[in-house]
Amino acid sequence: MERKEIVHKLTQVFHKTFDTTDLELTDVMTANDVDNWDSLTHMVLIGDVEKEFGIKFKLKELNKMNTVGHLIDMVADKTGRLQVQN
Amino acid sequence: MFYENIRSRLVTIASRFPDRNAFCINETFYTYAELWDLIGKIRMQLGEFNVENNRIGLVANDDLHTYASIFAAWLEGMAYVPLHPKQPLERNLEVISQAELLFVLDSGSERVFDSVSTVDTKACESLAPKTDEISVGDDALAYILFTSGSTGKPKGVPITRGNLATFMEVFLATDIVLDETDRCLQCFDLTFDISVQCYLTPLLHGACVYSVPHDQIKFTYVYGLLDDHELTFGVLAPSMVHHLRPYFEEIHLEKLKYCLLVAEATPIDLLQEWFKHIPNARVFNFYGPTEATIYCVSYEAKRHEKLKEANGLLAIGRPFEGTDAVILDENSQIAGRGVKGEMYVSGNQVTTGYWKNPEKNAEAFKILEFKGKSRIFYKTGDLCMEDVDGDILYYGRLDYQVKIQGYRIELGEIEFHAREAIGGKNAVAFVYEAEGGSKQIALALETVSFDEKKVIGFLNTKLPAYMLPSKMFNVEKFPLNTSDKVDRKQIAALLTV
Repeated sequence: MERKEIVHKLTQVFHKTFDTTDLELTDVMTANDVDNWDSLTHMVLIGDVEKEFGIKFKLKELNKMNTVGHLIDMVADKTGRLQVQN
Repeated sequence: MFYENIRSRLVTIASRFPDRNAFCINETFYTYAELWDLIGKIRMQLGEFNVENNRIGLVANDDLHTYASIFAAWLEGMAYVPLHPKQPLERNLEVISQAELLFVLDSGSERVFDSVSTVDTKACESLAPKTDEISVGDDALAYILFTSGSTGKPKGVPITRGNLATFMEVFLATDIVLDETDRCLQCFDLTFDISVQCYLTPLLHGACVYSVPHDQIKFTYVYGLLDDHELTFGVLAPSMVHHLRPYFEEIHLEKLKYCLLVAEATPIDLLQEWFKHIPNARVFNFYGPTEATIYCVSYEAKRHEKLKEANGLLAIGRPFEGTDAVILDENSQIAGRGVKGEMYVSGNQVTTGYWKNPEKNAEAFKILEFKGKSRIFYKTGDLCMEDVDGDILYYGRLDYQVKIQGYRIELGEIEFHAREAIGGKNAVAFVYEAEGGSKQIALALETVSFDEKKVIGFLNTKLPAYMLPSKMFNVEKFPLNTSDKVDRKQIAALLTV
């Protein structure tokens, strides 16, 4: 999946999770930049991302994930691997 | 007692292990020498102010200055009152006003409270450390924590140095052995009293405290600390373990020697699974209201023995040495073994009463005749029962016991079966007022989706008809309050009648 497409889909997931329509994702964005992004909504967000892309994160990966850019990279990596497998 | 159990011990540790790490904060290590030096400098800074009432506010940042400030305050004969930078300003101002604070210590860059003088602890670096001793008795306060009050106003729980020193002595007598090689988790906000045990116990043994920065996602960061730094001592709320559950197969914490489950009731099915991922840890369930200093009742859950439980919740066991726990029945008489009732606790760990709140004190404390003496007991609000062996079983908050259509119902029992119906996920039952004013039961399930007919069908085989919920709904993730406990009020507010 193209990075642009991933960002587009992720933006929709973020909008749903944080109940907003004007959030623009950037690579350097962190939980501190988004209202209501706390430990709990983070888990809801991860669940929604996993569902949207049909992927599953490992706890170790979540632990190292500090920015939205990193999240995009991981989704790209995982969906890329899925495509290769298919 | 505070002098021997806490002050002297810390001095000895700091001089014995100057080069060992006292803290790991945001992946930076700080030694005991650095901690001790900073304590002395902040003491010097404090000495410049006239803190007449001996109470000082402390903005609970996650840095060495904040922890050093606690000890500096204690060594200067003061009590600290933590203020969480992420809690609403209005609440913090209410705490400042109730505790009549004149000064607030803050290591952060934003000055947030206009009504008090702020002491910037980062500005102490150039000062020479103060080392002389100030003698303070055990009746003086160690801290005041503010817990949420039913009237919406926070209520202060003052804990004396004697209360804290007693706690420390008996806590360690529960068979927990730490030394300077231990690595210990501190994942609780400083506004919650469990944090005191989490930073103080390691520091009194020369061990290292690993804290969780405010801006991190707590459960993944905690796992990172436990795994990457091979922590040996972990104090966790069961809700946090529950959040790790979807990832259990990745978790294998061989180095963990002790796992303490605290702050809320522990579902035994969760613990049975958790055991497999902490193969070498001894597990303890610790119970205690803030009013009785951190914990006052404990139960060791031994992995190869039958676990004691009530409604699927792990037993809380026996009172600490020096604490008396009694259970009063409906007629306010001491209940015998096997009879449920409200638990009351008494002893040197119990606070002298809420901060300037005689009304609340009259409600929450009661003089009882016990073992031939009149003593003050704190009314815990928890429904408990002593079993035949003298271990205390925990049934939930007393207000979970409700009357519906004249029947006495325990919401915990409904939740127990509901959890079973949805494969061990969380469930919260509560009472709501239906149209026409009748009281009915609602059930919230922590799941993405559920089959209502199937759940009701299952509950129907386990519970009498009057205990069946008339409303059910799901919540993807249950909200937690600032103490990491499932927030039942917020969940109840999600119900649409």
